[in-house]
Amino acid sequence: MTTDLNQFPQLDKTKFEQRGIQLEIGVPVTSAVSIGNNIAAGFGDGTIRIFSSGEKHKTLKAHKGVILCMAKDGDNILTGGDDGYFLKISLNGEINEVTNFGSRWVDHVAAHNGNLVCSSGKVVYYWDKNKKEPKSLNHDSTIGGLAFDAKGRRLAVSRYGGVTIWKKDYSNKWKSTKLDWKGSHNKVSFSPDGKYLVTSMQENVLRCWRLKDKLDFAMSGYGSKVKSFAFIGDTSYLATSGAIDAICWPFDGEGPMGRKPICLPYIGNKQVTFIEPFPDEKAIFAGLSDGSVFLSQIENENNTIMIRSFTGFEVSAIAMTDNKSSIFIGDMNGNILWTSIWDK
Amino acid sequence: MEEINRQVPVTVLTGFLGAGKTTLLNRILTEQHGKKYAVIVNEFGEQGIDNDLVVDADEEVFEMNNGCICCTVRGDLIRILSGLMKRADKLDAIIVETTGLADPAPVAQTFFVDQDVANKTKLDAIVTVADAVHLSSQIEDHHEAEEQIAFGDVILLNKIDLVKDENIEVVTKRIRKINPFAKIIKTTKCGTPLKEILNLDAFSLKRILEVEPDFLESDHDHEHDDDVTSLSFVSDTPLDMEKFQNWFGKLLQTKGQDIMRTKGILNFKDENDRYVFQGVHMLMDASPMGKWPENKKRSSRLVFIGRNLDTMNLKEGFEACKSE
Repeated sequence: MTTDLNQFPQLDKTKFEQRGIQLEIGVPVTSAVSIGNNIAAGFGDGTIRIFSSGEKHKTLKAHKGVILCMAKDGDNILTGGDDGYFLKISLNGEINEVTNFGSRWVDHVAAHNGNLVCSSGKVVYYWDKNKKEPKSLNHDSTIGGLAFDAKGRRLAVSRYGGVTIWKKDYSNKWKSTKLDWKGSHNKVSFSPDGKYLVTSMQENVLRCWRLKDKLDFAMSGYGSKVKSFAFIGDTSYLATSGAIDAICWPFDGEGPMGRKPICLPYIGNKQVTFIEPFPDEKAIFAGLSDGSVFLSQIENENNTIMIRSFTGFEVSAIAMTDNKSSIFIGDMNGNILWTSIWDK
Repeated sequence: MEEINRQVPVTVLTGFLGAGKTTLLNRILTEQHGKKYAVIVNEFGEQGIDNDLVVDADEEVFEMNNGCICCTVRGDLIRILSGLMKRADKLDAIIVETTGLADPAPVAQTFFVDQDVANKTKLDAIVTVADAVHLSSQIEDHHEAEEQIAFGDVILLNKIDLVKDENIEVVTKRIRKINPFAKIIKTTKCGTPLKEILNLDAFSLKRILEVEPDFLESDHDHEHDDDVTSLSFVSDTPLDMEKFQNWFGKLLQTKGQDIMRTKGILNFKDENDRYVFQGVHMLMDASPMGKWPENKKRSSRLVFIGRNLDTMNLKEGFEACKSE
């Protein structure tokens, strides 16, 4: 059998691909965060690559195995790996060990204002910025996700059977409240205004709680697991992956109950696998299972542009620099696009 | 240009405490075989394995909210397998150890239920390590021991050096009664080539045609009501597809908790293709698998392994599916 590459239609490169830098690392990109005008990306071989405009990217060997999770802490990068290490890494490459759990994975990391959190198995560890030893917060099942609210006062921990919200009371003691819903909860997030809490579940559905009265409801109809979601703007939409359209639920006014979402369609009938908001705009980057990435305005479905054409591999990370000038895209085969977003 | 999708085979290793699972895992991790195997062990399992490719897991069984009462999956496994799939080096196989008392069904079901897991990995086979010395008494005392035999595609009858030949015969018969299609390998210190245990493709429908189980008409000895047994049926009369689907669908829906495994090759009236299926509890995978070979008698064969099979009127149900 011979393969004739010419039999595939040659798709023109997008202008972003033409002017940007494209790399084929061959190792899955697992996560990416913006640190100022730089992007730090984590990889399946334990390396971190730091992309800055006008410079060649820097590669750091951080973990022995897969970088499972990443967050930013001021100007530093936090990473957790399947080698059991929780690391704090500076942009110039200084690596500090926060802790090490041996053969147990560090599944999730988060930070707020210098306070660090990670989870390993069923336990969340919280490092107050003024203390050396962490506080352990125990749960009955393995943790699916971690999230602070915008002010850093509440920490939501998703798990089997619902979410535990941790808060320090006036005497500085940790208190927890539980939001129960049967099933396995993964990624969790507060809405930017702190009024709602959303989780994505093992089933193809999102669960949402209105926190003032604990009223809960589902957002369903997805063809696959919702692996990525993000609130857009000041809680005007929740944009979600898990369908062949990007599904955007309205969260303004009385919330999404009884209202229809906006569905942003893309060419090719591929699943949306990654959502990243365009800061301060009602717009999203949507990454698809074939590697293509689109920028869409939520309230105008005709205003969609293709940022990257297909690679054949699921988009697993998208991050935009804080000055909104450059975008980083990575997929499960380590195909990377690092490009400026604006025409000169 | 589609992604070239190689699914990593996952072997489920089960067996009672002390049967020899750790011996086998140590062999898999230390022998010079030129392959990269990751092993997922339970933190409460037997001790003594330390290796970069060993992952600790809590056996967390989740119920799925899909209205299927026996549909439980291993949540930890979904998390760990998706993590392993992000590794830079590609794994040749993954082995999941379940503790002595755990029911292997949730592990098997995980591969049917989670799309990401199903895309990137595939259930290869359930391998049960059994202690030739103690199996008979374990089966009497613990329903889990019986279930592990029932689910196995391969049964490693270990420690045969400690048992007299005639007793090996007795144990083998006991295993056969519970599970007529498993391959039984007799070993000392789990000493069998790894190719006999790994990468068997036992869950592929094609494989069912290659390794046809003993579809013997079962004998009906007196048994305890809660014993795990097997029943098989053969028919040369073509089946009516609609009748079969109605009967079998309803059967799995209502009795899926008691029916642990099913396999079959079916000859439907007016169909040129062989239909092959296999199932774990109420989850089932079925597909036409090409034409019946020329010169070969077309006959339907069906095997059930489970509890309380004699209360399900299986024979009558199957007979009623015949097209004439």
